[in-house]
Amino acid sequence: MDIAEVLKHTSPDLFIPDLEASDKTAALAGLVEGLITGTNIQNPDTILQMLQSRENLGSTAVGPGIAFPHGRTLAVQRLTILIARCPAGVDFDSEDGDPTKLFFMLIAPPQDTGHQYIKSLAALIDCIQDADLREKLLAAGDYESFCAAMTEG
Amino acid sequence: MHPQLQLLVALQDMDEMLRETEEQGEEFEGLGFKHGGLEELKKAREELASKIDPSLASWYRRLTGKFGHAVVPVVGNLCTGCFANIPSSFVSKTNVNKVQKCESCGRLLYWP
Repeated sequence: MDIAEVLKHTSPDLFIPDLEASDKTAALAGLVEGLITGTNIQNPDTILQMLQSRENLGSTAVGPGIAFPHGRTLAVQRLTILIARCPAGVDFDSEDGDPTKLFFMLIAPPQDTGHQYIKSLAALIDCIQDADLREKLLAAGDYESFCAAMTEG
Repeated sequence: MHPQLQLLVALQDMDEMLRETEEQGEEFEGLGFKHGGLEELKKAREELASKIDPSLASWYRRLTGKFGHAVVPVVGNLCTGCFANIPSSFVSKTNVNKVQKCESCGRLLYWP
C-alpha cells in the first residue's frame, strides 16, 4: 500500500506534536484522548481497554523509538490513524529498551474485511526503517511537513 | 451505555484480537510484533466473560457461533448485522436500562 493511501486515514486533528506522558499507561490514555478530541468517536474506555489488552499480548513498540498501538474495536466505524510525537520519550516496553518518541496508532472496526489496517501497518513499518526519515519526522514543524516527509520518503 | 453491554463490547473486541492472533499471527510477527502474552490474554478473556450475566453470555455465545459477531453497531437506524430498521424507540444512545437486541436477527445492538 502506498504511504499516501495510508495517510488518508489520518488528519491534522489526529496529530499530537508534543504528547506528554510519564509512563506507558499515561501514553495510551493520551493517545486515546487525542483520538476522541480529533474525531466524533465516542467510548474512550472501550478503546483504551482494547489497546491495553493488545499491549499485554506484546508491546507494539517494534521500531527504533517508534510504537504502533493498534487493534480492532466496535467503537470505530472506519480505520482511523492517530500520529503522536513524545519529544521527551516514554518507556513503552520496547525490545531494545529505548524510549518511544513517535506513535502511529491504528484503530480499525471489526468488519475491516480488506484488512486495511494490517496493510497500513506494514506500509508504515516499511517506511519508517529509514533513519534519516525518522529524524525528519521528529523535527517536522507541523502536520503538513510531517506528511510531506512521509510521502517524499 | 449499559454496563453489561460495555462488557460485551470489550469481550467481543478481545475475541476479535484472539482470533486475529491465531489466524494472522504469523503476518503480524513478520512485521516485528510478538505475542508472548497470548495465554494471559486468554485468562483475561475468561475473567471478563465471568462478569457478564449468564443469560447474556449464553446469548453472546449462540450469536457468535451463528453469525461470527454477536454485537453490532447501529448505523443510520439500521442493524449492521441484518440491515433491519431499528424502531425509533430503540434509537437512543442514552438508553441505559437494558441491553437491546435487534428484533429481526437478535444481535445485540451498540450505538457507536
